[in-house]
Amino acid sequence: MVSLQTRLLLAATAVLLLFTVLCAAGLESAFQQAALRAEEDRLRGIVYGLLGAAEADAAGALELNDGDLPEQRLMRHESGLEAAIYDQAGKPVWRSPSQSGALPVVIGPEVGKWKFERLGEAGRFALTFGLRWLVGDKPTRYTVLVLEDSAAYEEQLATFRRTLRLWLAAAAAGLLVALVLVLRWGLGPIRRLVRELRGVETGTQGQIDAPYPRELTPLTGALNAMIRSERSQLQRYRNALGDLAHSLKTPLAVLRGLVSDPQLSGEPRRQLDEQVARMQQIADHQLSRAATAGRRALSQPVAVQPIAEKLAMAMKKVYADKHLHFDLAVAPRLQARVDPGDLHELLGNTLDNAAKWARAHVLLRAGRSGSALEFVVEDDGRGFPENPERLLERGARADTRVPGQGLGLASVNDIVQAYEGTIALERSEALRGARVVLRIPAA
Amino acid sequence: MRVLVIEDDPDLREMVAKYFSDEGFVVDSAAEGEQGLYMATEYPLDLAIVDLGLPKVSGVDIVKQVRKKGCAYPILILTARDGWESKVAGLEAGADDYVVKPFHKEELMARARALVRRTGGWASSRLESGPVSLDTAAKSVTLNGAPIELTAYEYRLLEYLLLHAGKVVSKSTLTEHLYSEDMERDSNVIEVFVRRLRTKLDPEDSLHPIETLRGQGYRWMLPRTPA
Repeated sequence: MVSLQTRLLLAATAVLLLFTVLCAAGLESAFQQAALRAEEDRLRGIVYGLLGAAEADAAGALELNDGDLPEQRLMRHESGLEAAIYDQAGKPVWRSPSQSGALPVVIGPEVGKWKFERLGEAGRFALTFGLRWLVGDKPTRYTVLVLEDSAAYEEQLATFRRTLRLWLAAAAAGLLVALVLVLRWGLGPIRRLVRELRGVETGTQGQIDAPYPRELTPLTGALNAMIRSERSQLQRYRNALGDLAHSLKTPLAVLRGLVSDPQLSGEPRRQLDEQVARMQQIADHQLSRAATAGRRALSQPVAVQPIAEKLAMAMKKVYADKHLHFDLAVAPRLQARVDPGDLHELLGNTLDNAAKWARAHVLLRAGRSGSALEFVVEDDGRGFPENPERLLERGARADTRVPGQGLGLASVNDIVQAYEGTIALERSEALRGARVVLRIPAA
Repeated sequence: MRVLVIEDDPDLREMVAKYFSDEGFVVDSAAEGEQGLYMATEYPLDLAIVDLGLPKVSGVDIVKQVRKKGCAYPILILTARDGWESKVAGLEAGADDYVVKPFHKEELMARARALVRRTGGWASSRLESGPVSLDTAAKSVTLNGAPIELTAYEYRLLEYLLLHAGKVVSKSTLTEHLYSEDMERDSNVIEVFVRRLRTKLDPEDSLHPIETLRGQGYRWMLPRTPA
């Protein structure tokens, strides 16, 4: 798809070229007409001058005194200007001194009429005028001819054409430059909008902020509304899930209490307890999966440090008896394009798991590793058992679960998958316990 | 020990209340936030169990208000939303621990007991002071390793004094924390129980574990044995 700017520029250039060519043609034609007209007028002036200077004798022969000729060039040989007067029979009765060579055969116009033409091969202008002269009492028919070389006219025309084309080309170039600048200025808001949208997408900004021209404000308003609605929809959805969890788990808690009734014993008690545990696990699993937002196009970036600090504070309270030391090494101003709820679950479950097994020390490192976001949680506990990968599988059956371990990590695994990330369960070199590495692609 | 249970589900509320009264706690309970908040700020409590998903006033708000009013007793929150965001919100508001629904009785009680003894400065569930040792989980008392038979009231009194070892505890405080509202509150009863405890813990009258401060109350005098 050709860009908007290129389209507008191509179209404008085509229109400009067409306009320039037509303009040149029109101006040239108008100038040519005017020059021809001027030529004819000048030749007419010479004809009138000749007629004024001519006198006919009694025999009917015309006489012109050289000194009375209207134009000096008529006297000069090869001046390019020649004149002649023909009698009724078409025989020249007078020639200007400048005349040399053969005279064209002239078919004179009617009396009182002018005829202006261009004599092709010789490249000369010819003006003829028919008249009747009273010689004595006898009216005699004459034709006056003035010839002028067209070189001067051609020269003038060529000069005009050169000048015109030069100026038109310069004007067109100037207009094109102006057009490019106008387009850049005019399309500026669209470029800015694209930049802002990319910012929202990559998470460097929350919404479209900059002011926009009137024509674009409905669009930016709608975009912001969409971004907000997507976020609030997720919140509403989560609230609904929370309510569902609450209304489901309170009766489950009552059931669990009934199970521990001392009147109930042996097999029925064990079976009931198992079923309640199973229901709880299914509810936990499905609710947490449903609440995972996963990667979304317009998610807002979240600062990692405050969440990590809050979680560490929460863990310290919950595991107060263990007097755990939490070491947080979170790159300052580190932002994650992860839903805040998901980030809480990711770090909360991983830290909880580490705190559960740690003897005294838990370490969280968060930062960028290449294009990915990397979280490393280490503890000084006894480390993962053989084949730790099975801790990442969440079976629906309660009895496959290692007591007190694995459920949180399985949920972490679900979330990591939703972000197309990876999770690795390793041995911690630094603390000699477990080490969990979460990698989330940046975009 | 006096505990307040704020839970909107009547069955669960009754059940949790029974767990605590079975363990010798004096139990107050509230079904909704406003009443709960009143009790939480006005009653002399040793512990509160607050459900996070209450109608009207939320559990987090109750915890915040309680802490704002300067009440320092431990608070355990019950949550159905096992998301960390809500747990962190509750803990940040001032709660001390959480239990996720549905829970086992043993889990809830262990957490509750741990909170109470942690508030008294005890790290282990076994409170040891001199030759006296009280196991809060098993509810048994030994003197120099030999078990001692105590009535429920005597046990509660001893537990309270041990949890507040070194501090003066008035008779009225003891009445408030050890007996429910509907019991006849006669300060003479406390005197009787203290006398019986002294006889059982110090038959030779050489240890003097409980000091009487005239007009002020009682004080546990034996040093805590570090865990």
